[in-house]
Amino acid sequence: MRRCPDCGVAVEGAWSRCPLCGRTVMGPMRPDPFPAVPLRFSRRRIYRILLLASLVVILASFGAQMLFDRGHAGIGLVRSVWLGLSAMWLVVLMAVRARRDIAKGTATVVVLICGICAYWDYLVGWDGWSLTYAVPIVCGCSILALVIAVPALRIEAGDHVLYSGTMVLLGLVPIVFTALGWVADPIPSVCCGALAVIVLVMQERDRVSDVLHELGKRLHI
Amino acid sequence: MTRRAWVRLDNASNIFLAARSDVDPKVFRMSAEMDHEVDGELLQQALDATFDRYPLYHAVLRKGLFWYYLQDSDLRPQVQAEVRPTCAAIYRENRRELLFRVMRHRRRIVLEVFHALSDGTGALAFLRELVIAYARARTAAGPAPAGGADPASAASPPPAVDPTSRHGRGLFVDPFARYFRRERRPAPAASAAEASAFVRAATPAGLPEGMPAQEPAASPRRRMVGRGPRRHETHVHRVPGTRTPDGRTRAVELTVPVAELLATRPEGVGTTMYLTALLFEAVRRSAGDLGRARTLAASVPVNLRQFFPSTSSRNFFTALRVEHTYGEGLDDLGAIGRQLEADFRPQIEIGALEERLRRLMGLERMPVLRIIPRPLKDLVLGLVNRVNNRALTVAVSNMGPVRLPEDIADQVRRVSFQVSAVRPQICAISYGGWLSITFTSPFLETGHVREFARLLTAQGIAVSVAATRVTEAELAEGAA
Repeated sequence: MRRCPDCGVAVEGAWSRCPLCGRTVMGPMRPDPFPAVPLRFSRRRIYRILLLASLVVILASFGAQMLFDRGHAGIGLVRSVWLGLSAMWLVVLMAVRARRDIAKGTATVVVLICGICAYWDYLVGWDGWSLTYAVPIVCGCSILALVIAVPALRIEAGDHVLYSGTMVLLGLVPIVFTALGWVADPIPSVCCGALAVIVLVMQERDRVSDVLHELGKRLHI
Repeated sequence: MTRRAWVRLDNASNIFLAARSDVDPKVFRMSAEMDHEVDGELLQQALDATFDRYPLYHAVLRKGLFWYYLQDSDLRPQVQAEVRPTCAAIYRENRRELLFRVMRHRRRIVLEVFHALSDGTGALAFLRELVIAYARARTAAGPAPAGGADPASAASPPPAVDPTSRHGRGLFVDPFARYFRRERRPAPAASAAEASAFVRAATPAGLPEGMPAQEPAASPRRRMVGRGPRRHETHVHRVPGTRTPDGRTRAVELTVPVAELLATRPEGVGTTMYLTALLFEAVRRSAGDLGRARTLAASVPVNLRQFFPSTSSRNFFTALRVEHTYGEGLDDLGAIGRQLEADFRPQIEIGALEERLRRLMGLERMPVLRIIPRPLKDLVLGLVNRVNNRALTVAVSNMGPVRLPEDIADQVRRVSFQVSAVRPQICAISYGGWLSITFTSPFLETGHVREFARLLTAQGIAVSVAATRVTEAELAEGAA
């Protein structure tokens, strides 16, 4: 085995210098018990900085809209594109971040899209198109998407019951909008509500105990 | 639906989540060096058999609103080639992955574990069963222990948890659930002494390094505040260094004959405190002038199972603290060792340990702390840990001797142990007459290791060194 004359130690592995003092080592080589693993640089920190910077830019973009005039006349092409890009960027970011958890990711994206649509509607003078069309259509589609995705991807019940339950409840919200007279055309809301009720009766009814079990786990004190 | 078993993660394990960082991912490694190149297929078979007997190792970590929890999974571990630096991060947020990995490199079987899952003693029991199953399968000298039967281990003194016990079986569900249930039930009629009854209730918890309640009353920071008239105001020395380029752990493994080392041990000093004294002296020599920071302090984890019998694989240790101030009396190795031993002994009295456990349990059950949301708990525990680290120079972890059944003992040459570290740390473990002392640190410099090795060789002890390569130049040489 190689030896360091200064430290008086035997050195394992193909070291030409003593790993302790740097002095040249002499003698036959013995295999190294540790592999030489190439340097790796984690991109995590870069991603974290990019994410935070993105969120700041997106929130600033949304916030800045309040400085302009509300109404159809004020929004213009540039602001529409600006808002559209910010909204798309936010939705993509959140979808990518939650990609490993389909149910949670879908629920997050639905809430985000509904919120953005309502805000956009407010900015252009509140015609009610967000509550009439956007929210019920997005909620309805997401309920359908989960109904298809859960069995197709074999998602375990424990991993989705809370989120699918939340989405079904969200699907009932447009009915409330209709009842309050906030919508111009009740058809999308009624369709979405009917879908939510069907899913609730067909699937979620049996899952109440599962939902309680999951809640008990996640809210355990 | 299949309701997966789950248990809440205790505070003791939470500290590892709160304190982990890119530099110190709170991972430890135990490895066994065989007398031959490890056969990947046989190792996989041995791993499959061992894994089935350790439900705790099936766990994935998930996040609740107030706590993390361990949840059962259907994942199966695969033996991997060693392509990562030692003690690379295991737990990644929002990923459902097992909290340990098994690797092989040349003659070594390597087990790396995320510390929130288990402690050294728990992991050693797993590695031991894995190695036994592998070695027996390889030699075909006897059937692999399908039912966990291990005739030799019953006679072994307990450096680790006895794997023939119910170690691991059903354990995954039990420890905390049992603990909290017992809390509300009257004590079993046939319970043993008060101490053991208490500990049965407290069993699942190890104690975190960072909990304020654990801080010894005589810590230097308090002394500085108290300004005692008899002692000089000193600061705790902290080893400076240059971080490794990609944040990986620098590990240097010294292997020495146990008998030769013990022959040089001063009278009245235990092995752990002798190693601590050697490390203090090595740090002092490599630092040159300590200046005002003349106090060296070490965190010494102690396995609580040896005092309070438990078969739990979960964290069950406490980190004690010892210190020595240079320039306040004799500073030779013997004197330092005896002073450390005198500090250490009273702390591992059963009464003192019980008192510490009680305080921690009190903290863990405090309603106000329970309802703090998890991210805030992480933040607070992380800060407490950071403050506590400032009062520590090094950490010394001694696992003691490992024994293996005779039929396979000669297939294993060396057992070693290391921990990812935010400060210089040594981990010692012995097997077959050889003591492996692994130094880990986040720094390039190995001055304290050099001085430690020279302290040993100066006394005529044969020392063998193996080190991980961390710089581009070292790696280029290793690849050549």
